[in-house]
Amino acid sequence: MSLVSGPGRAGGNALPEELQLAIEPHVKYIQSLDTRKDELEYWLTEHLRLNGLYWGLNALHLLNRPDALHRKETIDFVLSCQADNGGFGAAPGHDAHLLYTASAVQILAMVDGFGELEKRGKAGGAMAVGKYIAALQNRKTGTFAGDEWGEEDTRFICCAFVGLSLLKLLQFVDVEKAVDYIISCANFDGGYGVAPGAESHSGQIFACCAALTIARRLDTVEKDKLGMWLSERQVEGGGLNGRPEKLEDVCYSWWVSSSLSMIGRLHWIDGGKLSRFILNCQDTEHGGLADRPGDMVDVFHTNFGLAGLALLEFDGLEEVDAAYCMPKKVIERVLGPGYYNDS
Amino acid sequence: MASHGVPRVAETAPRTEAQRLEEERQIREYRDLEDLIATKIAERQYTIEVLELTSKLLKKNPEYYTIWNVRRRLLIYGLFSKPSGLSSHSTASPNTSTTDTTKASSGISSSSTTTSSEASTTSPQNPASPNHGKNGTTLDLIKAELEFLFPIMMKYPKCYWLWNYRIWLLQEANERLEPEIARQLWNRELILVGKMLVKDSRNFHGWGYRRKVVSEVESQKLGGHSIVESEFEYTTKMIHGDKGLSNFSAWHRRSKLIPRLLDERKASDEARRQFLDDEFELIISAMYTDSYPYQQSAWFYYQFLMTTLTDYVGHGTIIPHFTLEDRAEYVSRQLVILRDMLDGAEDCKWIYNALIEYTMALCRMEERVPESDEKQECETWLAELRKLDPDRSGRWDDLERALRNP
Repeated sequence: MSLVSGPGRAGGNALPEELQLAIEPHVKYIQSLDTRKDELEYWLTEHLRLNGLYWGLNALHLLNRPDALHRKETIDFVLSCQADNGGFGAAPGHDAHLLYTASAVQILAMVDGFGELEKRGKAGGAMAVGKYIAALQNRKTGTFAGDEWGEEDTRFICCAFVGLSLLKLLQFVDVEKAVDYIISCANFDGGYGVAPGAESHSGQIFACCAALTIARRLDTVEKDKLGMWLSERQVEGGGLNGRPEKLEDVCYSWWVSSSLSMIGRLHWIDGGKLSRFILNCQDTEHGGLADRPGDMVDVFHTNFGLAGLALLEFDGLEEVDAAYCMPKKVIERVLGPGYYNDS
Repeated sequence: MASHGVPRVAETAPRTEAQRLEEERQIREYRDLEDLIATKIAERQYTIEVLELTSKLLKKNPEYYTIWNVRRRLLIYGLFSKPSGLSSHSTASPNTSTTDTTKASSGISSSSTTTSSEASTTSPQNPASPNHGKNGTTLDLIKAELEFLFPIMMKYPKCYWLWNYRIWLLQEANERLEPEIARQLWNRELILVGKMLVKDSRNFHGWGYRRKVVSEVESQKLGGHSIVESEFEYTTKMIHGDKGLSNFSAWHRRSKLIPRLLDERKASDEARRQFLDDEFELIISAMYTDSYPYQQSAWFYYQFLMTTLTDYVGHGTIIPHFTLEDRAEYVSRQLVILRDMLDGAEDCKWIYNALIEYTMALCRMEERVPESDEKQECETWLAELRKLDPDRSGRWDDLERALRNP
């Protein structure tokens, strides 16, 4: 999976009045990504490879093409990224980090690969992964470090909860303490930052809302305040930005909308306008989506653009889970058919 | 890499054979360098030579987090805290590293990309940076690392790994150096992050870094003291700078500093009241300048100030001793100011939104239902909101329901 941007360019030419989702070009674009080893950028982006595989595979699932990547090759690659400590790195030989460990678990969940993890993963299978994640919790404050070097960020609470809950090992950590930590990051505007005292940021808000959803503690969110702040992320052209007075970007189509959805306020923005903005970020010929119309496409924006459309129930896309950013079908298979009825 | 804001120029022609070969050569060079580092690390060569190989690679690819980790291990298992005077290649394992040494200061001070092992083994000690045992070598190394990072950070200010590595280095300084020396390093960081924020006044990595640096500079462990006054002044300066009024990062930081500022000033109730008045004055006069009633940053700061009055529990940090009557009086006064603001800004949705929100808040504070004229006015303002801001009609629907059933 390459994270090389291009070759496509979003919305280069005048688009037809009725905007279409370019399903086939997007599938081909994602399939082509691992064939670009003769480009320097392929090697310069190796530190994102496992994230890239999750982005690409999730996009394919949402496009109803879950088999477009070879299952065994996918599992082989994921397992080749596992380090001795049970965590996963971005690529073989890269150090383990929560960011990649979460992606690894998400990918294995999507391809129904937990059995392979038990058989062929590092000794202990899922337990080893769970222990790696649990060891990164700061037992004093409840938050998580990304890796052994100690950087703490509310994103890592989300990564930990996503990984552990899919492996059904959430009991390995102090959920309550992590929830208290998230509450301590809440600002007067209802949003959350990287750490207590940090400015509200849509990416962190997604991370905190997702963690609270998994912990079933959304009751702690000031929903009207947060909803107001999030709804003001929509700019004139329909796209969403990440913070006040910043430029819009397709990836916030996910971070902002999914947060609004988790707190029951997705209807506070104009979904039709947002869909049109996302569709305008496509390269309808070569496939892929960019951050804004006219820019280079890449697999990160391709996934989050499509996930945004899926959240808006765009025709032809699979339903997406707002907290996991994965197909609801997969979540039900892993967490049980009653998952959406209980929550 | 996820590309943000990279415009795609007109469809490029396929690469020529010469370009293809050149790219192939670059890939080979890059991958050879990766392999060389991996080999040296496998042999536990924790030396300046390998450190410089990682410099070369990280300049090509600062996002390569595993290589930053390699660099950390080179420092803590090989290069930090060596006794001076010895000179040999370190092939130490983590357990035995303290008995080995390299002349760190002479090898790294150039921070060149030299890969010659002579640089680290046979060159004479640089008289300008002699080893001073514990503080000498380690301090020189940390300083050289910080210098190495700076231009890369200026070039890639949004790269998480760079900020992390920088913080890690300084935390190592806390562990390994005298508190006074460590504090001097942190003090310099305050200047550096100031420069980064001049370059991009909204960089949230920069603001986060500033928060951490300040807490270290203030920490008792390092013999520091509070700098909350100068930090508060810094936000004032940022707000009055270019496009400062729409710099929500600065407003946010200000909101977080105020409670501590007032506590440390041991401000009297009267001083606190004056402070709140001054802040309202600041934000409202900001809204009257140019186009600012239409800019949301100012409104969110206004929300912060109003929250101290309306959501008193847990938020009444500016005026903890205000009575309910005081607070209601302040909110009423703001409602008058907001009405005045409408004059000439009838197309500003933020004013209508604030009028409704704080009219409702006043009723809640006074534990009463809105009077009929209040209700009618709210409905008029809501109709304006619907007209001015149709994109958020779902929000106005919910607001309408809330108005009907307060």
